[in-house]
Amino acid sequence: MKKLLVLIIALVMLFATACSDKKEDAKVDKDGVATIKVAYKDEGPSNPVAVSYFDNLAKKLKDAKDINVKFELVEMPQGNYAEKLNLLLMSGDIPDLIYFQGGDQQIANQDLLEDLTPYVEKSEYIKDAMLPHNVDRLKNYPYLLWVKPLDSKTPVIRKDWFESVASSEALMADPSIENYHTFFKELVANPPGGAGKPANAVTVAGDISELDFIFKMAFGLNQTWLEEDGKYINSKISEQEKAKLTFYNELYEEGLLDPQYLTKQWDTKEEAFYDGDSGVIVGTNGKIIDIYNGKMKQVNGAEAEVVVLPPAKGEFQGFNATDITKESRGVAISSQSKHKDTVFEILDYLASPEGQLFDRLGFEGEHYNVTDAGYELTEKYYNEWYSRFWEPEAFETEKPLVTPLLSVPAQESRDLANEYYSADNNFIIPEEFVSKWDAMENIYKDFSADVITGKRPVSDFDKYVEEWKKAGGDEITEYANEQLK
Amino acid sequence: MTEKGIFQRIKKDWVIYLMLFPAILYFSIFHVIPIIGMKLAFQDYRIIGDNIWVGMKHFEVLLSSPAFMDVLKNTVIISSMKMIFFFPIPIILSLMINELRNGPFRKYIQSVVYLPHFLSWVVIAGVWISLLSPVDGGVNVIRNFFQLPSLDFMTSKDHIRWVLVFSEMWRSAGWDSIIYLAAIMKFSPALYEAARIDGATTFQQMRFITLPQLMNTVVVVFILNLGFFMNAGFDQVFNLINDSTISKIDILDTYVYRIGILNGQYAYATAASLFKGVIGVILILSTHFVSKRLTGKGVW
Repeated sequence: MKKLLVLIIALVMLFATACSDKKEDAKVDKDGVATIKVAYKDEGPSNPVAVSYFDNLAKKLKDAKDINVKFELVEMPQGNYAEKLNLLLMSGDIPDLIYFQGGDQQIANQDLLEDLTPYVEKSEYIKDAMLPHNVDRLKNYPYLLWVKPLDSKTPVIRKDWFESVASSEALMADPSIENYHTFFKELVANPPGGAGKPANAVTVAGDISELDFIFKMAFGLNQTWLEEDGKYINSKISEQEKAKLTFYNELYEEGLLDPQYLTKQWDTKEEAFYDGDSGVIVGTNGKIIDIYNGKMKQVNGAEAEVVVLPPAKGEFQGFNATDITKESRGVAISSQSKHKDTVFEILDYLASPEGQLFDRLGFEGEHYNVTDAGYELTEKYYNEWYSRFWEPEAFETEKPLVTPLLSVPAQESRDLANEYYSADNNFIIPEEFVSKWDAMENIYKDFSADVITGKRPVSDFDKYVEEWKKAGGDEITEYANEQLK
Repeated sequence: MTEKGIFQRIKKDWVIYLMLFPAILYFSIFHVIPIIGMKLAFQDYRIIGDNIWVGMKHFEVLLSSPAFMDVLKNTVIISSMKMIFFFPIPIILSLMINELRNGPFRKYIQSVVYLPHFLSWVVIAGVWISLLSPVDGGVNVIRNFFQLPSLDFMTSKDHIRWVLVFSEMWRSAGWDSIIYLAAIMKFSPALYEAARIDGATTFQQMRFITLPQLMNTVVVVFILNLGFFMNAGFDQVFNLINDSTISKIDILDTYVYRIGILNGQYAYATAASLFKGVIGVILILSTHFVSKRLTGKGVW
């Protein structure tokens, strides 16, 4: 019996050793061609558009900059990208260029990501392409770069419904909390689409964070840490938060906020919008609003084009303060890479006029055509293309763009998001506070959901504050006061 | 049996052993070898360079976390509810299917009860959220028919754990009954024939022949299930949780996922897994020995 067991274990160990044996790094430069290994969400070798993109990019780099590179794309397994990427990196297999969508801090803490500050300072194009929030974020966390517009969310409603509601003009002229409330009431009381269309004024996906994009700042919650009597307190335990939750509870009790918002996902939220069950939804400015607009017109006709609503106006006005502690996603360069400078040169080229034309418009003849009038985007562009890298505010082409990159409502949402930009004063939660922060967040989620849905009275707010402080709130507040003074 | 005897037996029935080999390989690669990796629970992981030994640091952080006792409590409550209310269902179902004599109808029933097992929890969550919707869900339509008010089961702290139990029941009762049905198939028909001659009713045959013989299988399955006691169902909870029910169904696995996996703290996640595993082993061994002493039946 022992011999048999030994035999089985030996075989298994042999197999395991064979599987885990690390291969020698095959990345050898031949004829001066540098192989750049790239890990990027959805841009693996099985995606023909991605393969074509990087092949084209390599040719353009050779022609324009005499940069001789070959891209090796990493095929990422299906599932949560951040999780799979972390597993890849933890195994010691570190690509030269890595796109992160979370989970980067652990890697940066192990000094495996390059500090991009000196590269940006020396860059020809990127430093000028960066938007104010990108500059702030890079200063606070120099490992991720993501030159993209703000990701604030903006509320939208279909135009024909909006215009049929009498209080819409007053709302646009003065988007106060009261006018929003009146507008929502009228939208449900006199449904423009007939009985039950809409059944509720606004729906959100799973929690109140999307609703906060409309109302939070109007209640005076303009920062994560609010200054009171010379000290900072977290906005979640402030009197302003209490007032906001009371208002949300009113919306819920009056049937204006979707009674099933807690179980809504992004897809069921959108479905409720297109089907006319909910009047207003909130989506990321720009491309997402473009999608809402396109789908809404497809389902309900051209007159159902969407209208972007302004943020509620109160003590402050805006679509939430922007977190500038770090980029929540973006590209990083491995500190172990043999080609760090080359990788950054590639990133810088993508911010150049020629690189921008390629990255933002796609392949000539496929995604756009050049005519005497200018660049004409094709149907394939709208169906397939998106910028893999940078989207700075200014995008100037040699010839004019005959067809716009974004629809009118989408562009409006982006303009509004930029207009109301303000930076938050939050900070990266240190590792030792992560589990406490998680507990405090859960206490807040539980209490806020209960208050809004009427399961707990708002008068329990003081009890909640005590619970929140006990779960670690006092310690983190003390830390915040040290950080922010 | 002597070693020589074992090898002779393998040589004789090598085809059968060959069929067993993939299973041995699977369990070795995915369940035995990872035990070596459990040392990570006592280390700080370094991608480049040697890991740093930190002793019990991760266990101390885990046990001192304010949320840990809450998630542990939720895990134990949900697992206990599933163990008490769900465990007997596949046994009852297998007894009922066994009594169905009509071939096509029996096959139809079996297919219907096995089917949900093949659906992912993402799909099942969608089905249950629709079914329990307070606005137009089937359950509330029936409640309203009987003049009862609508209930929002999915956001109710009082009902959400029952939703977990019943959705698990719906998904797995059929599939889990297969093992009992297989056991019933090997019972001697002579026993049933003799009982029928003696005038035993169907229920009496079930009560005095099937159930006593099935007890061995029931005990083994029960003890083995206890090994997974701390796995209260990550996929299920992950898809059915919302802000309103987080305090009632946030379990050890979802907590570890947030803190350990999403934040890339793999050593911490490993410590939590080891904690769960040790409790599972303790439960299996203690139940095995108690059962052995009381009933003479155990896993081995």
